[in-house]
Amino acid sequence: MVYQPPVGARDLFPLEVAQKRWIEERVQQVFHGWGYHRIITSTLERLETLMAGDAVQPSTVIQLQVDEQVLGLRPELTASIARAAVTRMAGVTHPQRLYYNANVFRRALAGSHNRQLEFYHAGVELLGSEGGVADAEILLLLADCIRHLGIGQWHLVLGEAGLTRSLLSAFPEALREAVREAIANLDRIALETLPLSAELRDRALFILDLRGRPADVLQRISSLDLDAQQRATVSNLKTLLDLLQESLTAQQHPQFSLILDLSLIQTFDYYTGIFFEVVSSGTGERRILGRGGRYDHLLGLYHPQAETYPGVGFVLHIDDLHQMLLPTGQLPSRTPPSHWLIVPVSNQAYAAAFTYAKKIRESAHLVRVEMKLKIGEPADKVHEYARRRGISQIAWIDDQGLPQIETVGQ
Amino acid sequence: MLTVALPKGGLLEDSIRLLQQVGLDFSAFLDSANRQLEIWDASRTAKALLVRNYDVPVYVEYGQAQLGIVGYDILREKQPQVAHLVDLQFGRCRLSVAVKESSPYRSALELPPHSRVASKFVHCAHDYFQSLDLPVEIVPLYGSVELGPITGMSEAIVDLVASGRTLKENNLLEIERLFESTARLIAHPLSYRLNQDGLHDRIEQIRSLTSAHVPA
Repeated sequence: MVYQPPVGARDLFPLEVAQKRWIEERVQQVFHGWGYHRIITSTLERLETLMAGDAVQPSTVIQLQVDEQVLGLRPELTASIARAAVTRMAGVTHPQRLYYNANVFRRALAGSHNRQLEFYHAGVELLGSEGGVADAEILLLLADCIRHLGIGQWHLVLGEAGLTRSLLSAFPEALREAVREAIANLDRIALETLPLSAELRDRALFILDLRGRPADVLQRISSLDLDAQQRATVSNLKTLLDLLQESLTAQQHPQFSLILDLSLIQTFDYYTGIFFEVVSSGTGERRILGRGGRYDHLLGLYHPQAETYPGVGFVLHIDDLHQMLLPTGQLPSRTPPSHWLIVPVSNQAYAAAFTYAKKIRESAHLVRVEMKLKIGEPADKVHEYARRRGISQIAWIDDQGLPQIETVGQ
Repeated sequence: MLTVALPKGGLLEDSIRLLQQVGLDFSAFLDSANRQLEIWDASRTAKALLVRNYDVPVYVEYGQAQLGIVGYDILREKQPQVAHLVDLQFGRCRLSVAVKESSPYRSALELPPHSRVASKFVHCAHDYFQSLDLPVEIVPLYGSVELGPITGMSEAIVDLVASGRTLKENNLLEIERLFESTARLIAHPLSYRLNQDGLHDRIEQIRSLTSAHVPA
């Protein structure tokens, strides 16, 4: 069926492209403003590159067999950027500030019907800087992007993957994975039924509930018997939250709700420090508009001598932002109309018409000029055409190449 | 605003009684003249959706309902991305393998390889027989699964058993139990994390009611 796109794929027509570009341009302006540079990596990667960080399952990757290699269409960009950047880290000054704006692919799971396969992601990676100030830059940059998209209310759910992992080390190894999975999936019943001692069960449920206003949560964590490393992590987290709060207040940044959530973890060891999700607010479906975190072990996986560098970043889900912004009326509701319609009155006038159009286009600002290709239409038909396309100026070009300019009322 | 997805059928009455105890009255769903699928609580701070039990986790997973009540059997079958919060202790039943009383088989492992097993719970059935390393053909059915062995279409069925009366009346015999099921309180994970409109308090109220009846 040559006339159908593959299941789960879709085409974007000019209006949708204009809306998508509206989002991407705003986000890119912010990225540029913070000194980030765009990187373009390959759409295709070796499967092992994509899976090295443990965050990607082969079943979710669209795979291709090319000669002897198994390649995959990238499901996200961080692995590609880590691979590309790490071998060149030695020679460059740190940190590296990179951003991307690209399509990604995800294989639909069995049992899902016509699930979307191709998505658009825009995001940043700040490579070679560890510590809370780099984390603060990423979170403030994220808040800046969302403000520039005109999103007033949103939630930031912030976890600390390293701290939670460290708290889980108290559990016997045989059960640790099950406890982690239950916490990541918010499965309280599983925690209640795992064969744990009463003390460990209480500890697991305590971690599951470590969520709420940052000050309250920090206080609850401090009530635990923490080791020196854990105390340092908690103290760094508090410093980060204070720095965020102070910066946002000083900039009179609109308030968003920040939830500190130590149960926000994943079932694989990818993030090593902060881990966060951006959640839409208000009525309508709640969407995850973006997510990110710190991954201090990832780059080493791609270095020939396993030298590692810290990294932190986030991704914005352009498709979810698009869906969320559509009902707000901020996105363009039509493609930009042409400013001019050039109408040659006879066959002899074509060359003059193209020349006249060229002259108008040579302006400091973008002037959109379109040619009427068919000659001999009555004036009222031409007016009707211009009106329908939102064109305000018509230039009639006669055989001598002289223009007669007319303004069309809308 | 809070939205709760409630299952039609056997769990409905207990679910409504439970919610009444925490101050949410959706008893209009029990009125046989009721045709409404969406009912507001008298305080208009909460509403309930009346859906098929299979659809409860769908509304909760997509966030149209923040809370839902559904049997564990369906959570096992559909594996939805939802938070499992409270074992509500009612709607107790089990997923079992049954055969005709006249059948020679008395355990699942005795079933001949490549025999047919009819079930509404195709994933549970598939996982179970795979764990036994016994290749069988799962025949999906949407109801009256007991007819599978009666008509001779399948050697066995995998189906829910509560009292066992339906099996008995159809001359079927339970030969294996896969797992026990009870009703569960589930939540939309993002809404649970954001905890708006007193969601957490409602959940804790429900939990305290349930645990009061359970021996520690």
